[in-house]
Amino acid sequence: METKSKRLTINTLIYCAYFVILLFFLFPLFWVLSVSLKSIPELFASPLVWFSSNPQFSNYTYVIQKTEIINYLVNSIIIVIFTIFFTLLIAVPASYALSRYKFRLKKPFMLAILIFQMVSPVVVAIPLYRLFVQLGLINLHWSLILVYIAIQLPFTTWFLKGFFDTIPHTLDEAAIVDGCTRLQALCKVILPVSTPGLASAAILVGVLSWSQFVIPFILLDDNKLFPISVGLINLQSTAEAITLHYLAAASIIAILPIIIIFILLQRYIVGALTSGSVKE
Amino acid sequence: MKNESNNGAGIYKKAQRKPKKLGNSPVLWFIPLVLVLLLVFVYPIIEIIRFSFTDAGLIDRDYTYTLKSYFSLFTSPGFFNMLFVTGFFVFFSVTFQMMLGLAVALLVDQGMKRRLHGTVILRTAVLTAWAIPGVIIGIIWTMLYNESNAGVLNYILSFVGLDSGIAFLSDPINSLISVTFANVWRGTAFSMIMIYAGLQTISKDVIEATLVDGANAVQRLFKVIIPILSPVLFINLIVVTVETFNTFDMVMALTGGGPGRSTEVIALSIYNSIFRQFELGQGAATAVVLLLINTLMTVIYFKAIEKNQAVN
Repeated sequence: METKSKRLTINTLIYCAYFVILLFFLFPLFWVLSVSLKSIPELFASPLVWFSSNPQFSNYTYVIQKTEIINYLVNSIIIVIFTIFFTLLIAVPASYALSRYKFRLKKPFMLAILIFQMVSPVVVAIPLYRLFVQLGLINLHWSLILVYIAIQLPFTTWFLKGFFDTIPHTLDEAAIVDGCTRLQALCKVILPVSTPGLASAAILVGVLSWSQFVIPFILLDDNKLFPISVGLINLQSTAEAITLHYLAAASIIAILPIIIIFILLQRYIVGALTSGSVKE
Repeated sequence: MKNESNNGAGIYKKAQRKPKKLGNSPVLWFIPLVLVLLLVFVYPIIEIIRFSFTDAGLIDRDYTYTLKSYFSLFTSPGFFNMLFVTGFFVFFSVTFQMMLGLAVALLVDQGMKRRLHGTVILRTAVLTAWAIPGVIIGIIWTMLYNESNAGVLNYILSFVGLDSGIAFLSDPINSLISVTFANVWRGTAFSMIMIYAGLQTISKDVIEATLVDGANAVQRLFKVIIPILSPVLFINLIVVTVETFNTFDMVMALTGGGPGRSTEVIALSIYNSIFRQFELGQGAATAVVLLLINTLMTVIYFKAIEKNQAVN
């Protein structure tokens, strides 16, 4: 429908826009990477140094050896894995039931779940802090993971309900007619065909839990237990101006896992995000 | 949670009528979910509302019930300043995130349709910004906004004649703009992906029909695409607004609410009242204000979804 020259013009314009947008989104990341490889004189040099002439990889070894950053990463990985597992374990039956059963008050029940999704974590963290102090549950990963799970549950339940809605009811009903219970139908018939939905949910829970900050910030005060987000704030508050390059190196170490996961799984993530928002 | 038992009873009756189709009651399936939500959401929300009517400190067990917290909250000039800061932050973040998100979504959509190279790279780059923890985004932007020789934004601006250097984070008004700008960088991806998903649902026939009509690209955008997208845009608006009202981590890392209280958004204000000034009552009262905003938004959101489903 378009002539060749018109198409060329439009494509060129699109590429120009691509360039501007890429610059806007990647420049901050480039800058942190650049700072993380600088030596101290280069850090404050005038005119500004774009690329270190002698990249200081020792900044990274310094951060790894002198700070708890590896420990923070391990904590984050542990917390995120348990959060994903238990969130799915709880959300799958609930969302399956929401998708298959009809009952009165289903709408208010779903609205209630949605309200929790919208509640700011800082609001719930404060009474939980008091409660956990009284019960001696403060500074424990288990109690922290429980809160992480609760924060992920509303969205995951809605998301999986939407996914289960797309699976034909005849599939599990046939299994029930054949003598399966509901639970057996879910485990043997529905779950095997739900891998894409479960994988998307797991990825989203993983990314959101990796970023979680308010909850561990309020519920933990033991440096050894911090996940990466709180660990970084801790480093930032102890860092002087002279250690900017170390803070940058720590930031790169902290976002590296997310960026690698993103590049590997970005197809699924886009799938997860788009299918979720269409159904909502 | 009286509703729960009512649900059970309702289902039980239905189940007796149509035993084959319904199997057991769904209540069992919801028990773990409901227990976790009761403990981590319902109990704290009740507690925070209760505390908002007390004069309690952070960990005291002794307190009396009073309306003082609300009274001092609504009469303090800090409260209205906080509302202004939050309002500015939310309004401009949401506006620019959605506008930029729409623009990038349209570009990616066109790029995909024209099979242009680099489209996936662009999409991934934008989404990466969204996946980075807010705290780290805050730290990254402190480096960009740095006002010493190490600051790159001032260096770039010096090429366009702004030699004196901008006080990005040390001036109260500038810092609010700086925080909002960084938040636009962070949040655009979410709007982009939601709008992009919405664009995928527009059938080719609709677009082709407008091409036959001879509508140009701008007319197509405003007369066809945006009206079709309006439910998606509305839901996006609500979600992003709530998300922005709840923002805490990025601002904490970028300015900590300062200088002074010039970037103290509502979530940060709750935290500061309770953990810095040890005024649980006042912090709780602020939290109740935030909860009311959240609830109102959720109800609007739910109505919008229902209307959407009715249309589909």
